[in-house]
Amino acid sequence: MDIQSCVEVRNEWDIVSARQLGRNMAKELGFGNVDQARITTAISELARNIYLYAGRGKICIEPIDQLGRKGLRIVALDNGPGIREIRKVMEDGYTTSGGLGAGLPGVKRLMDEFSIESTVDVGTEISATKWLR
Amino acid sequence: MNLQINQHQINEIHELQLTGEVDAYTAPKLKEVMLPLTEKEGGTVVVDLSGIDYMDSTGLGVFVGALKSSKANNSSLKLRGMTDRVKRIFEITGLTEVMDIESGVKGEAL
Amino acid sequence: MTAKDALTERYQDLLSVYLKAKTETTLYKGQQFSRKLLEQQISPEDLVSLHIQVMDELFPNMSEEMRDSFDFLLEAMIGYGFAYREHQSLRDKQQQLESEIEVAASMQQTLLLSDVPEFDELDIGVVSVPAKKMNGDYYNFVKSGSSLSVAVADIIGKGIPAALCMSMIKYAMDSLPEEQMKPHLLLENLNRVVEQNVNSNMFITMFHGVYEPESHKFFYAGAGHEPGFIYHAKEDQFHDLIAKGLVLGVSRTTTYHPYERVVEVGDMVILLSDGVTECRTSKGFIEREEIVSLIRKYMDLPAQNVVENVFQELDRLQGFELRDDFTLIILKRMV
Repeated sequence: MDIQSCVEVRNEWDIVSARQLGRNMAKELGFGNVDQARITTAISELARNIYLYAGRGKICIEPIDQLGRKGLRIVALDNGPGIREIRKVMEDGYTTSGGLGAGLPGVKRLMDEFSIESTVDVGTEISATKWLR
Repeated sequence: MNLQINQHQINEIHELQLTGEVDAYTAPKLKEVMLPLTEKEGGTVVVDLSGIDYMDSTGLGVFVGALKSSKANNSSLKLRGMTDRVKRIFEITGLTEVMDIESGVKGEAL
Repeated sequence: MTAKDALTERYQDLLSVYLKAKTETTLYKGQQFSRKLLEQQISPEDLVSLHIQVMDELFPNMSEEMRDSFDFLLEAMIGYGFAYREHQSLRDKQQQLESEIEVAASMQQTLLLSDVPEFDELDIGVVSVPAKKMNGDYYNFVKSGSSLSVAVADIIGKGIPAALCMSMIKYAMDSLPEEQMKPHLLLENLNRVVEQNVNSNMFITMFHGVYEPESHKFFYAGAGHEPGFIYHAKEDQFHDLIAKGLVLGVSRTTTYHPYERVVEVGDMVILLSDGVTECRTSKGFIEREEIVSLIRKYMDLPAQNVVENVFQELDRLQGFELRDDFTLIILKRMV
């Protein structure tokens, strides 16, 4: 199995490639259909954020194994404007970018672990993990 | 009830024509329109209240805020065309003494 | 058996019974089952997945298109799952906020509770009811020396901002030295405090009075507050208790005019907040004359019963939905 695979995100089609990458890996790892759908939705949201706010960036998917506990991690990276108020974007009902409108709090709820780091004018790195049950 | 705000501008004079009610629900909308106008130095804001039949204390607060802002920014704020009910609350609160209020129910445009 | 297995089994039972008999009874059971799903916080996509699992078992030879269509449905349900979870999280947050407000409201009650002092000369009645959880009206009785000091204030707006502002007023009043308890001077002092501490579109209306039992004089001043009434027993008439003055918090240099009235035996001083005269009914606003006639109707009762009866009638006229905080105080000279 690949250690890490990444997809560059520059346009809306790349969102589909990122989803495909995530779905393949989720299937391989043995995630059920609901979790597959949740993982790909999380990927869509993160990729969409890159496309809408940073213009370009990448989505990386990696399998993880911590002391026999298996899971999948999504990492979204961009060198965009960064997020000034992380607390704000993590509030429900804050994002209004259209699309699913679920935003980052939604992604956080779809996944098991979630972390975000952002520096204004430097970029944003979001990582989200789903564990295999 | 709702509040309708019509705006006209002639040179440095902004005129706001209000229709409806100014209460806790509509006051934020009025504030959003009126406050920036009072922040323009040397400008004049004329508010026509002849279409307002109800104003509560939150509505009055918007006018107090606008008055303070116009003093701080050297602009002027004039009110006109108050109905009796609205006039009463400006009188009770003593605001008629500190605000520029044109008497007479309806006046021609300046 | 896990809760999820139990649900799966129950769903399978219900579905297979329904597919055989197609009765309204089973549909009704299905509807009740959905309540159970909600209780257990099963999200929409989980339910679709449950359906797929059960269908797989009931129809192992299901056509591939049918099977795939379920996967597509699952994907399409994810958005609803998003919305469902957001709703849950917002609901939790709302409950948390509500309980915080409860706590704040009961703190406010304790903080601002003003016992009505006992005076041989006076019968005192008071009601103060908030329109929402927090009261934006404030009243305060203080016995200073042999005199009674009484204040009624209405903070612009309602709810939490008004309540916070009111706590400030209370502490400002408590910290004024006694010699400044003359109504017009007290208002001048408070005005400076308020002007410095509130944001620009906030203000406070206030009426302050001092009853001096030796002279039976009522000294008072007003800062833009709704006028009260004075009732003269001798002529059996109500008059407006006008005290002109600008609301607190508008201009730092405002001064207030001192007023005084002689109070005879049987006379009443009536103070109120504008919630009393801004009561709206289906027929329009309640005029001051109507308040007067309500007071007149009950005025032979003890003062506390008068204010309570007046409040109950006004509350009923408004369909038990107060639009504004309501405060009514009556001082009646007995001897």
